[in-house]
Amino acid sequence: MSFYSAKNLHFSYNSTPILKGVDLHIDEGSIVSLLGPNGTGKSTLMKLFLGLLSPKSGEVLLKGKALQSYSIKERALHVSYVPQSTQVAFAFCALDIVVMGRIAFESWFQKPSKTDRDLARAAMERLGILHLEKRTFQTLSGGEKQLVLIARSLAQGAKILVMDEPVSGLDYGNQLRLLETIMKLSKEGYTFLKSTHFPEHALMLGGYTYALKNGHILAHGLTCKTITQELINELYHTNIELKQTVCGYPVCIPSFAQHTN
Amino acid sequence: MKNSFLFGMMIALLGASLLISLALGRYEIDLSTLTQLLLWKLLNIGTAPKEVMLLSNIVFDIRLPRILAVILVGAALSVSGGAFQAMFVNPLVSPGILGVLAGASFGAALGIMVSNSWFGVQLFSFAFGFVAVLVALGVAKIYGRSGSQTILLVLGGVISSSLFSALLSVVKYVADPYNKLPTIVYWLMGSFSAVDMKTLSSVAMPLIFSTIMLSLMGKYLNVLSLGDDDAKALGVRVTWVRNSAILLATLLSTLTVVVAGMIGWVGLIIPHIARFLVGADNRVLLPMCALLGATFLIIVDTLCRTSMSVEIPIGIATSLIGIPIFVFALRNAKKGFA
Repeated sequence: MSFYSAKNLHFSYNSTPILKGVDLHIDEGSIVSLLGPNGTGKSTLMKLFLGLLSPKSGEVLLKGKALQSYSIKERALHVSYVPQSTQVAFAFCALDIVVMGRIAFESWFQKPSKTDRDLARAAMERLGILHLEKRTFQTLSGGEKQLVLIARSLAQGAKILVMDEPVSGLDYGNQLRLLETIMKLSKEGYTFLKSTHFPEHALMLGGYTYALKNGHILAHGLTCKTITQELINELYHTNIELKQTVCGYPVCIPSFAQHTN
Repeated sequence: MKNSFLFGMMIALLGASLLISLALGRYEIDLSTLTQLLLWKLLNIGTAPKEVMLLSNIVFDIRLPRILAVILVGAALSVSGGAFQAMFVNPLVSPGILGVLAGASFGAALGIMVSNSWFGVQLFSFAFGFVAVLVALGVAKIYGRSGSQTILLVLGGVISSSLFSALLSVVKYVADPYNKLPTIVYWLMGSFSAVDMKTLSSVAMPLIFSTIMLSLMGKYLNVLSLGDDDAKALGVRVTWVRNSAILLATLLSTLTVVVAGMIGWVGLIIPHIARFLVGADNRVLLPMCALLGATFLIIVDTLCRTSMSVEIPIGIATSLIGIPIFVFALRNAKKGFA
């Protein structure tokens, strides 16, 4: 039985086809990176996996059951969403945002219990951001915001995190720290489906990679086997060379930067 | 801790403004006589003051229904304004966003033109408030599935508001200029002078009920203000929550027009001031909106009926007083409407 998968997914906005028969498998505890140029349907695919959109045909299966057959609450207990950026128009503090992850567990009109607040704070503690709990969300840096949103997912209790370009807008240090967090959580049993614009990031995290282009899966498999020089050049119309460092680690070097110094 | 202190203060302030407003008017009653009367009438403590018949008539039959209506309307406008702002993730939204005020005004004007009874006017006003919101929701529904629901709703509201404003102009244009037109114009400026016990008793229950229900929905409104995708992924039935909130907020704002005509600005500025005091959490914000809105409107209404020899329409007063407050509140816009 597959853990989390899509079978022959088709989707179109109005009459423009976006996904044309996509199959995708995610094993429990693995990291799956989605690569592909802008506008190729990565976000749409993730929204289908989250159940925010319904496929035109095909289906998403979660633990052997169609995702559509889960109630919206049940689904939230399994799958959570870490958006690229959450626009918060009002001044909520970071802890408020994390506590919102518990809403599926509360009944109508029930206040977040002490347990909910404790779980939220524990999630922040785990990511090392408890000191931000009273800060206004809007005043946090991009990296801190992402961590707060991940803490919200942890508080939500879902073991699968769907992340839309989690590192976009972060500086180099925060990018690396975020990838490290993902790696750490994956070792603790969390499953990740994330899109990324950086083949290097997929290589750093290992796991599996799906390359999406024009609504089709162009290539997929173990990241180290899937990401090749040819694939990257075909996906992005670039001219790069995938080289191995002395210790065997692959790096992309674009042709314009290949000067010998 | 800080919040419970603030709420205590606000409740005390509301009580004080209620008492002062009961005392003030063409026939002024000093506070000690008023207290004596209230204790004697309500709690059977002490003795009756002099001229007790006259005093009870003024206090209980004339002023109290009006002031209670003011409290309910002030709370209703502010809570529905706060709820709409959270729902549309936009701090510049007012209760009229979905066309409810335009619709209710048109309904009232139409009612004044075709019906001779006050009840008829109220019924028309109530019905068209809802019709206007249905038009807005209908327009949003046509283009339903694609794009953001909130933007479609706002556009639907703009269309519906314009439609009913135009229809209102038609009614004004064709209305009898000596008899009906002044009534329509005066109604649209808002006033509590026509409120009696009968009106109050028929609108009180739905107003109180919706205000409380909407305040209790605070945590769902919090999540809605993160956007639809976030809210859905957190396990919230977004459409259902939003529609219930719209229904309650529409009920609230339509009833305010039924009771007192058009009263602008309250629903826009009070949530800002409340947010400034207690923060953005709607579970705390909406009850604070109710208290602040009620107090603000009592003060404005008391000024309206006492400061000049003729009564000032309250809609004009709220705008004139509201604008400077809003300009002041805009200072916070930089900080993301803290």
